[in-house]
Amino acid sequence: MEIMRNFPCISIILCMCSAIVSSALPGKWARRLNVTIVLAVITLSGGTLVYSLAKGYETVYKMGRFPAPWGNEIRFGVLEAIMALFFSGILLLSVLGGSKKLKEDIDNFKENLYFVLLDLLLSSLLALIYTNDLFTAYVFVEICTIAACGLIMASERGRAIEAATRYMIYAQIGSGLLLFGLCILYDITGHLLMSNIKTQVIILASSGQYHIPLVISIVFIGTGLAIKSALFPFHAWLPDSYGYSPVPSAAILSSLVSKGYIFLLLKIFYRVFGLNIIQESHLFNILLIFGLAGMIFGSVSAILEQDIRRMIAFSSVAQIGYIYMGFGMGIRSGMVAAVFHIISHAASKSLLFISSAGLTDASGKNKTFKDLTGAAYRNKIAGAAFTTGALSMVGVPLFSGFISKLLFAKAAFETNAMTMVATLVCLAISTILNAVYFLKTVARIYTPATTEYETIRFKDNIPFGVACILFIILNLILGLASDPLVEFINRGLMMFS
Amino acid sequence: MINFNMILIASFLFPLLSGVLLFAIKEQADRKVTFAYTGLSLVITGVLNMILLFADSAEVKLITLMNGIDIVFRLDTLGKYFMGIVSLVWILAGFFSYTYMKHEKNEKRYFAYYLIVFGVLNGLGAAGNLITMYAFYEFMTLSSFPLVLHNQKKESVMAALKYLFYSFFGAYMALFGLFFMCRYCRTLDFIPGGVIDQVAMSGHETLVLVCICLMIMGFSVKAGMFPLHAWLPAAHPVAPAPASAALSGIIVKGGVLAILRVIFYIAGPEIIRGTFIQYLLLTLSLVTVFMGSMLAYREKVLKKRLAYSTVSQLSYILFGIALLNPAGLTGSLLHMAAHAFIKCALFLSAGAIIFNTGCTRVDELRGIGKKMPGVIWGYTIVSLGLIGIPPTGGFISKWYLASGALSSGIKGFSYAGPIVLLISALLTAGYLLPVTINGFFPGDDYDYENHKTIKTSFYMIMPIIVLAILSVLIGMFPNGLTEFIGSITGEIFNTGF
Repeated sequence: MEIMRNFPCISIILCMCSAIVSSALPGKWARRLNVTIVLAVITLSGGTLVYSLAKGYETVYKMGRFPAPWGNEIRFGVLEAIMALFFSGILLLSVLGGSKKLKEDIDNFKENLYFVLLDLLLSSLLALIYTNDLFTAYVFVEICTIAACGLIMASERGRAIEAATRYMIYAQIGSGLLLFGLCILYDITGHLLMSNIKTQVIILASSGQYHIPLVISIVFIGTGLAIKSALFPFHAWLPDSYGYSPVPSAAILSSLVSKGYIFLLLKIFYRVFGLNIIQESHLFNILLIFGLAGMIFGSVSAILEQDIRRMIAFSSVAQIGYIYMGFGMGIRSGMVAAVFHIISHAASKSLLFISSAGLTDASGKNKTFKDLTGAAYRNKIAGAAFTTGALSMVGVPLFSGFISKLLFAKAAFETNAMTMVATLVCLAISTILNAVYFLKTVARIYTPATTEYETIRFKDNIPFGVACILFIILNLILGLASDPLVEFINRGLMMFS
Repeated sequence: MINFNMILIASFLFPLLSGVLLFAIKEQADRKVTFAYTGLSLVITGVLNMILLFADSAEVKLITLMNGIDIVFRLDTLGKYFMGIVSLVWILAGFFSYTYMKHEKNEKRYFAYYLIVFGVLNGLGAAGNLITMYAFYEFMTLSSFPLVLHNQKKESVMAALKYLFYSFFGAYMALFGLFFMCRYCRTLDFIPGGVIDQVAMSGHETLVLVCICLMIMGFSVKAGMFPLHAWLPAAHPVAPAPASAALSGIIVKGGVLAILRVIFYIAGPEIIRGTFIQYLLLTLSLVTVFMGSMLAYREKVLKKRLAYSTVSQLSYILFGIALLNPAGLTGSLLHMAAHAFIKCALFLSAGAIIFNTGCTRVDELRGIGKKMPGVIWGYTIVSLGLIGIPPTGGFISKWYLASGALSSGIKGFSYAGPIVLLISALLTAGYLLPVTINGFFPGDDYDYENHKTIKTSFYMIMPIIVLAILSVLIGMFPNGLTEFIGSITGEIFNTGF
C-alpha cells in the first residue's frame, strides 16, 4: 500500500519524460506512447484514489525528502485523485475521438510535436492538481499556457494563429497578475509552501498587519486565474481558440485546461487563505456577480452564433460562469456543486466538441448551421452523441447536467436571500437560453436536408465511434449514479480545510 | 400472486425498448411486418396496463439520483386512471395508423416513436415523485417532437420547434418552482392532500405560493392555457392525423396530470384555496375556454379548428381543477376521459377524410356524409358529446363542472363559470356541426351525378366507432367511472389538514 504514495509524483514525471522521448519519435509512435502514458496515469490516479480513500486524510509527500523551507511538496487527498483520474480519462477519450481528424489537420512530420505538447499539458495539469508549492504551481501554469498555445495553433492555418496569439496575450496578462499576487504574498509571509503561508496568513489576518497587501494579493491571484479560465468578461480569447483549433485541442482546452486553473484557485482558497479571509475580502461576491453575468451573456452570445464550434465555445463561457457562481456562494455546498460541475461539464463539453467534428465532417467540413442540416442522418453516432451532450447541457433529468443544476439550486438555499434569488433566477434564465440554442441545433441536425454530402458510417472511423459511446456512457453514469462522486467530493473538500 | 412491481416497470420499459428495437430492425419490404410488430407491442402494453388497474399498490425505487432524490414509480388511483385512458386511446389510434400511414414516408420511425411515447406516458402516470414526473414530462416533449415534424416540411419543422420551445420554457418555469419545493416540502413524493411543510413555510408563504404558481403555469403550457397556447394550434394540425389525435387527446393531458399532481398531491388544495393562484387559474381558464371556442369557430381548416377546440376544452378541465372542490374535480377527471376519446375520434375522422378525399377545409366537405357515412356518423356522435348533449359523456362532465362551480361559492366565478361554459357549448355546436349538416344535407345544387360512396378501410372506421361508443357509454353508464373518480377525490379531500 505504502508504495501508492509515490503515484502522483511518478505520474507527473512519467508525462514529462514521455514528452522528451516523443520529440525524437515519429508521429505514429508518439501517439502510441501518449496513449500508453495516459492509460498509466489513469491507473496511477486510480491507485491514488484508493490510497487516499483508505487513508482518510491528506498525504504530504516531500520530494527528495528535503524538509519544508527548501524542499518541494506534493499534497494529495481524495479530491486531487478524482480530478487527476477524470482529467486523464477525458484527455484519453478526446484524443481517441479526434485522432483521425488530427491527421488531416496537422502536417505529417509535425505530428509527434502535437503529442509532445499533449504530454506536457497533462504533466502540468497533474502538477497543478497535486503540488503544495505556490511557485511550482506558477511554473506549471506557464508550461500549461505554452502547451495550450501550441495545441491551439497546431493546424498552423488562418484564424488558428490569430486565435493562439490572442490566447497568448490574455494568458500572459493572467500569469502576470498571478505572479504579482504570489510576489506580494511571498513578501508578506516569507513562504512559498501553501501550508506555511496559511499559518502566516492567519497570524497576519488576526493581527491586522499588512491588511491591504493581503487583499491585493487575493485580488491579483483571483483575477489572474479568472482571466486564464475565461470568466466573463475576460472571455474574448475563448470563442476563436475553441472554434478554430483542431478538435481534440478544443475538447481538451475547454474541459481540462480552464478547469485546471479553476482547481488551482479552489486550492488557493482553501489551502492558502482559508474561506474566512477570502469572504472578508469580498472576492466571493465579485466572482458571484461575474459568474452570473457570464451565465446569461455566454448563452445569449451562443444563441446569436451561426458556427457550431463557436456556439459550443460560447456555451463554455456560460458553464464557467456556473462554476464561479458555485465558488461565489462562499459555502461548502456551493464548492461541492462547482467541483461536480467541473467534472460534469468536462464530460459533456468534450463530448460536444468531438461529436461536432463528426457532424461537420459529414457536412463537407462546413461549420455553419445551414450546412449542418440533416448531419445527424449522415453520421448517426455523432448525432446521438451531440444530442446526449446537448440534453446534458440543457439539464434534462437523468443526464449529468441536471445533477449539477440540482446541486447548485440546493446550495443556493443555504446562502442569504439576495444571493439565493439572484442565483436561482439566473439559473432558470440560463437554462432556458441553453435549451434554445442546443435544442435548435439538435432539431437542425435531425432535419432532413436537400443538399447531398457523403455519409460517414461507424466503421469508417472506429476510434471516433468508440470515444463517442464511452462519453455517452460517462454522461449517463454521472447523471444516474452521482451519489458516490458527490460523496467523494465532499470528503475531499473536508480534507482540504 | 402476480408481482405488480415488475409489471409496473414493464408497462413503461417494454414499449420504450420495443420502440428502440424497432429502430434497430432493418426496413421491412412488407409494411405489414412493421405494423404487426407495433400492434403486438401496443396490445401487450395495453394488457399490462389493464392488469395494473387491478393492482392495489405497487412501488418501485429504480435508482437514487442523489441524496434524497430518487426515481420512484408508485401506482395510485390517479395514475391508474391516466394509464387506462392512455392505453385505450393509444391502441385505437395505433390501429388507425395502419391504413393512414400508407401515404406517409418513414413509417418505421413513426411507429418507433409512437411506441416510445406510449412508454413515456405510462412512466408519467406511474411516476411517484415530483422529480420522476418532471423527468418523464421532459421525455414526453422530446419523444413526441419527432411525431409532430413527421412529414418534415418546413411548416411542420417550424411548428415542432415552436412546440419544443414552448414546452421547454414551461418545463423550466416548473423546474424553477421545483427547486424551491425541495426546501419547503416534507418529501417530494405524491401524497394526496399535499406535502408542504407548514413549519418550513411559515414566514415564506408568498414565496411558496409564487413557486407553486410558477409550476402550475409552467405545466399549463402543455395543456394549452392562455397566454402560452400558441404552439398548440400550430403543432397539432401538422402531424399525421393519428399522431395529432394522440397528441391532442393524450399528450396535452400529460400537462393536466402534472397540474393535478402539483395542486392536489404536492401543494394541497387548502394552501391554494382563496389565494391569487386560484383566481388566476380560474380567470385564465375561463378566458381560454371562450377564446379557444371563438377561434375554433372562425377557423376554416378542419384540423386547425379541432386544435383550437382542444385549447378550449382543456381549459374546461383546468377550470374544474381550479374550483378545488370534489364536484369540480370529478367533472375535470370525467372530462379528461371524455375529451380524450372524443378529440381522438374527431382527429381520426379528419384523418379519414383527408386520406380518402384530400379535403382539408371545412367548406370543401359538402356532401361528405353521403360519401363516407360511417365516418361522419362517428364524427356526429362524438361532436354531440363534446357539445354536451345527453346521454353522451360530455354532458355528465359538464354537469359536474357546472354544479361544482355553483356550489363553490367563489364570488363571481360561481356564476360566470357556468355561463361561459354554456356560451362555449353553443360555439362548440357552431364549429363542429356544420360538417355534419353540410355533409348529410348538401343542398339541392349538390352534384349527385358524380356522387360515389367511398369505401373506408376497416382499420380506419373501427377506432372511430369504438371511441364514439365509448364516449356514449361514459354518458349512459357513468356510475362505475364516477365511483372510481370518487376514490381519487375522496383521497384528496378527506386526508390531511
